[in-house]
Order: sequence, then C-alpha cells, then structure tokens
Amino acid sequence: MTTDVDVLIIGAGASGAAFAWSMADTRMRILCLEQGDWMNPADYPSTRRDWEVRMDREFSPNPNLRRRPEDYPINDVDSPISVLNFNGVGGSTILYAAHFPRPHPSDFRVRSLDGVAEDWPIDYATLESYYALNDRQIGVAGLAGDPAYPPHEPPLPPVPLGLAGETMGRGFNALGWHWWPSDTAIATRDYAGRAACVNLGPCKAGCAQGAKSSADITYWPVARRAGVQLRTRCRVREILVDANDMATGVVYYDEHGVEQLQRAEVVVLACNGVGTPRLLLNSKSPRFPHGLANRSGLVGKNLMLHPWGMVRGTFDAPLDSFLGPLSCSILSQQFYETDRSRGFVRGYNMQVTRGLGPVATARIGVARGDIPWGEGHHEAFARRYGRQIGVGICCEDLPEECNTVTLDPTLTDSNGMPAPKISYRLSENTERMLRHGLARGTEVMQAAGAWDIYSEGPVRQTGWHLLGTARMGEDPERSVVNAWGRSHDVKNLFIIDGSVFVTSGGVNPTPTIQAVALYVADAMKQRLANLFD
Amino acid sequence: MSTDRADSAESSQPLTSEQRAILDLVLNLIVPPSADGRMPGAAEVGVLAYLAAEAPDALPLLRQELDQLDLRSRERFARGYAELEQAERKNQIEAMRAQAPSFLGRLAMETLACYYQHDRVLAGLGREARPPYPKGYQVAQGDLSLLDPVRARGKIYRDAP
Repeated sequence: MTTDVDVLIIGAGASGAAFAWSMADTRMRILCLEQGDWMNPADYPSTRRDWEVRMDREFSPNPNLRRRPEDYPINDVDSPISVLNFNGVGGSTILYAAHFPRPHPSDFRVRSLDGVAEDWPIDYATLESYYALNDRQIGVAGLAGDPAYPPHEPPLPPVPLGLAGETMGRGFNALGWHWWPSDTAIATRDYAGRAACVNLGPCKAGCAQGAKSSADITYWPVARRAGVQLRTRCRVREILVDANDMATGVVYYDEHGVEQLQRAEVVVLACNGVGTPRLLLNSKSPRFPHGLANRSGLVGKNLMLHPWGMVRGTFDAPLDSFLGPLSCSILSQQFYETDRSRGFVRGYNMQVTRGLGPVATARIGVARGDIPWGEGHHEAFARRYGRQIGVGICCEDLPEECNTVTLDPTLTDSNGMPAPKISYRLSENTERMLRHGLARGTEVMQAAGAWDIYSEGPVRQTGWHLLGTARMGEDPERSVVNAWGRSHDVKNLFIIDGSVFVTSGGVNPTPTIQAVALYVADAMKQRLANLFD
Repeated sequence: MSTDRADSAESSQPLTSEQRAILDLVLNLIVPPSADGRMPGAAEVGVLAYLAAEAPDALPLLRQELDQLDLRSRERFARGYAELEQAERKNQIEAMRAQAPSFLGRLAMETLACYYQHDRVLAGLGREARPPYPKGYQVAQGDLSLLDPVRARGKIYRDAP
C-alpha cells in the first residue's frame, strides 16, 4: 500500500509538468506517475556519429516503430495519419520540434465567427497571461511585433534565419505574404541555468545541449525541488471511483510490473489526447459502464490530428540549409484566418523547415527517383544536399464525432492493458484546405527560386498533435470537462492535456496545452475550499 | 564511420568470399566511386559490417539474393556474376530490381545510411566527421530588415468577440 496523496497527476509531459510546478506552492502532497523514465541527454542521437539513423529507430516518434518497454502500441490502421508521441519524463516534448506559435484569438470563437464546430468556454484573453508565464518559465525565443498576433514579447531572441530562412523570407515578400521568425521553445541565450542553443540540428531526437525547452529540464527540476514527487516506470491501468462518483485513486503497475494501489483526493489526467481517453475508457465500473467521466459519450470522440502537408524545394545556391534547428525557422500565417472565397473555412499555418542531413537527403532522393543509382548519383546528391528547404502545411481539422480513440479489442500493451485504436478521416473541408496549402507552398517555393519542387499530404508520420477527445464546455451533454478542466461527472477528476481542446487551431498545440494546464492549476488553487462543489 | 562494433561484426564473416565479391559489385552499382576520386564507392565503406551490426535480420535474405543473382547470371550468360561485363551486371541488377524490389530497395537504403555517415564520404562533402554535439554549428542570424514590408502591411489577425 502506498501513502495517500492529495493530488495525483498521471503523466509527466508538457501539461503534467507545468501543472505540477504551479500546484507545488500549495504545499499539498502531490505525486506524478509516469510510465516512462528520465532521459539521459548523453544518450541522445546528436552525441553520436550515427545520429540520423538513431533518429529513426530508438528515437522514432512512432511508438509502433520505437518499441521501447515503456511504449504502448497504437492501432492506426484505420487512419491516414500515424499517432506520434514519447513516453518519459517530459513526454513528447523530448522529441517535439519546439515550434511554439500561439493560436489566434479567433481560434477560440469558431462558432461565433465562422459558424462551425463550437466556441471554447474560455478565450485567448483568459489564457494570455498563462502563455506569457509559460514563455518565461521554459524560455521561448521569438521576435516581438508579429502582425499576425496580439502583441507579445518572447523573452529570448529568435533562432537564426540562416540563408534558408532569408531565401524563403524573400519568396514570401515577393508574393506580398505574411512571414515572421517562429516563436520557438529553444533557449537562444543561456537561460535559467541552461546553455544556449548551438544549432545541433536534430531537435526532434532530444536536445543534448539542453537548449530545447523540454519539460524534463524546465518545469520538473523546479517542481521536484518544491516537493512534488515523481515516480517513473509506473503505468496506470485504471482510475477508481466510489459510490458517490468521486475518484479514489488509481491502480498502476510499478517498474517491476507489480500491481499497486495509489489513493488520492484529486486525480489529474495529463496523458495526451490518446492516452487520456484510453485510460478513461479502460476505467469502467457499474456507475460508469462506458468509461469514466463519459456520461456525455464524448470521451475518445472528436479526435483532431492537424493533417500535415509538406512541400520541399531545391535551390541552385548552396544554402547550408541543414544547419540550425530542423523544424524551426520562419512561419507564414497568410492563410490562417477564414476567407470563404478559398473554398473552405478556417485555415493553416505554413512552417518553414530546414534541409535534411546527408543520409535523409540521399534516402529520400533515391526513393523518389531524383537521385539515381550509379552514374550521376554524386552529381544529383550534390545538387540537393544543403540546398533544400521545406514548407509544412499545418491544417486545422474541425472536431467530428466519427474521428475517435477507442480500445482495441485484441491489441494490448506489455501489462495486458488494451491499446488505443484510432479511427480518423479527413473531412472535405480539411481536404480542400490541404490542397490549397500545398498549392500555396509550391507557389512560395517558386517565388523563392526553387527549381525542383514536390509536395505531398497528408503525410503519414506527422500525428504529433493529439487533441479534442475529452473536450471542455459548459454543457455536460456536449463536453467532458468544464471550463476549468473538471470532469462534469467526477468532481475530483481533472483533465489538463490536449484532450480538452474544443477546436484545434492551426498551430502546434504545446503552448496552449501548457497555458491551459497553468490556467487549470490557478483555477483549482482559487477554489480549494469548495473545489468539489 | 569506422567502429569497433562494425569491425568485430565484419570479422564474423557473414558472407562467403564469393558472396562478398558479388555484394561489392552491387554496392558500387548503387553508389560508385566518383570520377575525381573524392567520393569512395559504396563497396569501400564497410556496408557489410554495418548490416551485420545494424540490420542482422537482413543477412539471411542478403545471402539468398546474392546467390540468386549469381545463379541467374550463370543461367543467362554461362558465367558467374563477378565475371560479367559492367553492362551485363547493370542489366542483371535492373532485372532483379524489377523482380525483387523490396530486397534491393532495403539494401540501397541501408547502404545509403552507412555510406553517408562514413568519414571519407563526409570529408568528400566538405563536412567534419563528428557528431553535432557538443561543438554545434554556426548559423547566420539573417537579415531581419526583410520583415519591413510585413510590418508595413499591419495587423492580419481577426479580433474575436
């Protein structure tokens, strides 16, 4: 039997870490259970010569390929997009690109402005101070003055544009389109005890320098010093509930695979938009036969994944485009806000990415037939290596109840717990948006001077953004949690990860996930005397 | 890249000398040495050791397909693959590529991974043969005055009720 705690957080990723840090000042007994382990930055691929190959294997973002002991399989056969994640202290921030744009104010009011989906019960103004707090706590780089956003001032200067960023900036200028240096969760100067970025490049395989603001090296050290306990290699199987519809704790498997009971006054889910519905759906009881906190029937529904398009162009001039943070450079939000003349509502972000390393350049070039075997190989490679730039198209997908996370009837993890099954399709609106984005990406490549341009989408291995599967709202029949993350059905159960998103916006969600986690923590602290009323 | 692990794996001789000779010919058909001598051929960068260390599951099929290549060569030309003229070898490989695309496709991908991490190759590309960490790289900050027209156009986000 373990010691009872006041607050039990499940998951030590972006949201769990921010929440734990914020709650630490309550001096409550706070425990976080994490199924993965601490990462050792000395093991990250960038410390090795074979970094490109390691990125695709034990540091693959796809758990079905990575297959670490702490990973759970995900059945994504019924989806054109694979779910990506990482299980460990820091969660998916270990492997995320650190591209860190905020959403727009309009993203919280899509029903009011565009007549689709639903408005969030909170707005940009509600979260604005939490975005800023999060930026300061983790160290966010960027350039103030972006006309695509309400004023905000990142605490650190932007990542370098390099020749590639300048080249694309000129392309956007030639078309009269918006572009701006991206906000990035990277310490571009020494910050809070962390060394500045030295442009290792493969941020998406962990940052050996410690410049990338992953949650294991930002929030967690401070939270633990303030008394929060973090127990790793602990996989929660189910949340327990009593006859009064109150959560009483969880059953989990410890690092030795031994079943343990952990009691808690408050349970907080921070397992991402797939892990959270999986756990809720696996927590069936007579009072909740369809899964915990699921009287609305919406747990696991409305999955949003941000279908991703990629345009890649090759330039004549050597750009050393493989130098710098791989996926962070500049962005364009020229097509972010709704313009119905385009044939769809809502919009997308264009994320300029840098060139690839030599192995990836050669492999993709050969696979596409751009780089031949034998004669002409070296010449074709030289025309591409260091001369390629990408433009990613991050499409806002709207919530649809047919896009789901359910429990797979046969596939299980190493503890016998059912694996999540993903059923997802692109809507006609999203398809149109994606086609528009690929065409505009091609257009800006041409304007920038690229001579060889190809595009594809949706790209399968891009399901990073796991959103919407336990959404917030005021109506218990149309949402899973209320406006401050508390379950409508279980009043001491909170959800703070991307599951609570009502709509997805068209940008990388981690700034909002962490802002929501900080906001929910503050909301709870303000209501401690009557938290369960 | 030359590693102790790779050298050790190579010493276990996963292929016969005949298979090894055929593999080297195939590898140089995938990535030949450059005419100026700056870039080595793929047969010179330890692909077999790399496969033994990184993709040992591929070795049984590799042996089988190399034997098949030699057998087909003998059936068609009455000579082993190693004795063929270069043009004949290319034809045989192209035929095999059509018949067994997954095998040669995987061999090519593993070969490229090994090749483009090798010290000699990186030197030929003008790159230092080292991991990114700890030294990192210098990247030009860039000309932020390019943003002037973006600033001049002003606000593009919508206010929300």
